[in-house]
Amino acid sequence: METSNWEPKIVAFLCNWCSYAGADLAGVSRLQYGPNVRIIRVPCSGRINPLYIVRALQNGIDGVLVSGCHPGDCHYISGNLVARRKFALMKRLLTYIGIEPERVQFSWVSASEGNRFAALMNKVIDDIKKIGPAKKLVKSVA
Amino acid sequence: MAQGVIKKEDLYRLLSTAAGKKKVYAPIDGVGGIEFAEIHEQKEITLDYSNSKLSPKSIFFPQREVLCTFADDALEEVQTPKEALIVFGIRPCDALSLTYLDKVFSDSAGRFKDPYYLKRRENAVIISLACKEPRATCFCTSVGGSPSGKEGADILVYELADKLLFESCSDRGQDFMKTASVLFKQAEEDHKTAAKEQAEKAKDGMPVLNLNGLKERVDKVFEDPLWDEITRNCLGCGACTYLCPTCHCFDITDEENRKGEGYRIRTWDSCQYPLFTLHASGHNPRVNKKQRMRQRIMHKYSYTVDNYGDIFCVGCGRCILYCPVNLDIRDMLNTLNKL
Amino acid sequence: MESMEKKIREIAREIFINQKIDFFLGYEEGSVPLKSRPFFIQAKEKTPDGLINRLVWNSFCSNNLAVFLPKFFEHDPRKKPPRIGISVKGCDLRSIVALIKEKQVPRENIVLIGVPCLGMIDKTKVEANFQGLEIIGSEETPEGVLNITTKDGKKHHLKREEFLQEACIECRFPMTEGTDYLIEGKARDPGDGGYARIKAFEDKPPEERWEYFKREISKCIRCNACRQACPTCWCKECFAEQTDLRWIGASIDLSDTMIFHLIRIFHQAGRCVECDACYRACPMGVDLRMFTKKIVQDVDELFSYVPGFSTEDTPPMSTFREEDSDNFISEP
Repeated sequence: METSNWEPKIVAFLCNWCSYAGADLAGVSRLQYGPNVRIIRVPCSGRINPLYIVRALQNGIDGVLVSGCHPGDCHYISGNLVARRKFALMKRLLTYIGIEPERVQFSWVSASEGNRFAALMNKVIDDIKKIGPAKKLVKSVA
Repeated sequence: MAQGVIKKEDLYRLLSTAAGKKKVYAPIDGVGGIEFAEIHEQKEITLDYSNSKLSPKSIFFPQREVLCTFADDALEEVQTPKEALIVFGIRPCDALSLTYLDKVFSDSAGRFKDPYYLKRRENAVIISLACKEPRATCFCTSVGGSPSGKEGADILVYELADKLLFESCSDRGQDFMKTASVLFKQAEEDHKTAAKEQAEKAKDGMPVLNLNGLKERVDKVFEDPLWDEITRNCLGCGACTYLCPTCHCFDITDEENRKGEGYRIRTWDSCQYPLFTLHASGHNPRVNKKQRMRQRIMHKYSYTVDNYGDIFCVGCGRCILYCPVNLDIRDMLNTLNKL
Repeated sequence: MESMEKKIREIAREIFINQKIDFFLGYEEGSVPLKSRPFFIQAKEKTPDGLINRLVWNSFCSNNLAVFLPKFFEHDPRKKPPRIGISVKGCDLRSIVALIKEKQVPRENIVLIGVPCLGMIDKTKVEANFQGLEIIGSEETPEGVLNITTKDGKKHHLKREEFLQEACIECRFPMTEGTDYLIEGKARDPGDGGYARIKAFEDKPPEERWEYFKREISKCIRCNACRQACPTCWCKECFAEQTDLRWIGASIDLSDTMIFHLIRIFHQAGRCVECDACYRACPMGVDLRMFTKKIVQDVDELFSYVPGFSTEDTPPMSTFREEDSDNFISEP
């Protein structure tokens, strides 16, 4: 694929209660961000199985964003806090084996942060555009 | 029977000359140990090995093989492999194992023929290398083989100091030697004597496992509690089955992407895995390691005797050598035979 | 070590006589050189002396015996869970502790016999020393000399200390704690964990790290020996074998194999005791120790948790602290 007209495919896993609502607010407020994102709604960032992330990369996704409620704001009290431990380790392990740190990103977005969501998406898209298409972990049939 | 001698350093020249358009496989010292791989020059070949880690079955029956590809509704069959092979250096036990696999992949009634395996086999010349010094874990002579066995081989080679003595044991082997006849020197009497002595010595040094009456015995003791005891150490991994030259079970799965494009692959499978016998209902008739290891042993030493008339074990000793808990099949057989 | 062996047999006999156990789990002489193997003794008679005298303790007792325990305690209303006596090294014990914490093994059903560990021999290191020449005999002397007989009939004398497993040289916990019985003796001095190697690996360019990972993974034949030999890989159904939603393919496709190992290692966070059972079990010599070690180090660094001998603390991945670091979070 030509890099010049290549547009990255990005998957965002957003928690139902904060980040998904934040994305909704960004939409309702008519904030502009890149069209590269496919959003998958999950009940809580604690629902994220690391396999979701690596499976996305295996299927040819160029970047993954996982976002949940800010620490302390979780709808289920502590789902995002337990998830935070998983994410911290996952990020380190992926970077350690040689995956670009920008490829998989984690963030917190609340329901009132439409601006933050739009800005965050633009940042992720920019980051992925800089590092180019994902090649590692991709399965050939994808 | 044709005989001929070449110098070791001329081996690749011989193989490539006779090969023509064939691919040449020989033992190399690879990343994971001794393995069979396609070679392109003499220095890649190693002769300093007892046996390869993975059995050469993967040359004919690869661990992963694409059977067909599909996209939407269009299905495309993958052509059966056409390439012709020369396989040098497999040990007599592994050569024997190929004759067993032949029986599985082309049953005598001719109803089920496996085109992928058979195509590769049809076009292959097997040049096996007689064992000078069998490993301590080898027991081929106890299961119908020999360190200088000819079954399954087109040519048997003896390693003599700096020379190799070739001896054809099939028409195909004879043809091979004819095409390269200029490279062979006449085999002299002392070469033949040396080879004979070497073969005798290797054979005499082999430990003997008494397996007389084993089939009748294991058929009777299927429910014996002893199975629990002898399989207690088993971890339930598939190392023994994947390294085994006669294990041939496989699974067929489809893999596709979101666009509906994909392929159907055949992959090795193992009776030691829970998925091997899992029914669609969720019921699994073999839930524990006792049942699974019993299946492995019964299959090799009883069921195949019923189905094909042979014990499907060639005594290569790989399962003994590489088992993480040293679960020794010789011990298990001895215990069962004493029951 | 001979005196330790004697002592283990004595204790095994004693707890059989006092009917404290139904099984004993130790090691016996293996059938190939440089290997002792797991050995179960089931009490059919009151003191199975013949079997007890087959118990050994030497430098080849590498297998982590904890791997056998969870199966005995799977819930089954028809069966009473057995009581098991087991001889343990530091690593075995820490694995058992991890299993106890995760409710896979009931502490009250286990009689622990701690053995101070002097480190175990690395079979591959010894074999490499003889470059393919077959080893047909091995024994060790109390003075720490390994006597090796090779195929050509020659005898070789190696220094035990030079052929120990990396895991043992670097081991931080060679001495057991909190066992029911403790065999007298001195353990080796604790190592530093070998985390400098992780640092050195981290300093390499990403492409180099990726190539290393790829090379090791490419040897894998998906025989699952690593998973089966791992004491803390106790899931009744592995994600690799879930079929309702098939996570990864069954073949040796590099991507599938990578994800298998990556997630397996990730699942060991807070459990892995760096016993290297996975590495030893692998028939193909896949070496992912650099990655298992990394996860252990990260868990320690991020959550101040080291899988040790205490059954009191909570496994790190099932808890949290409010002050856990947020420094990996992306800001717009």
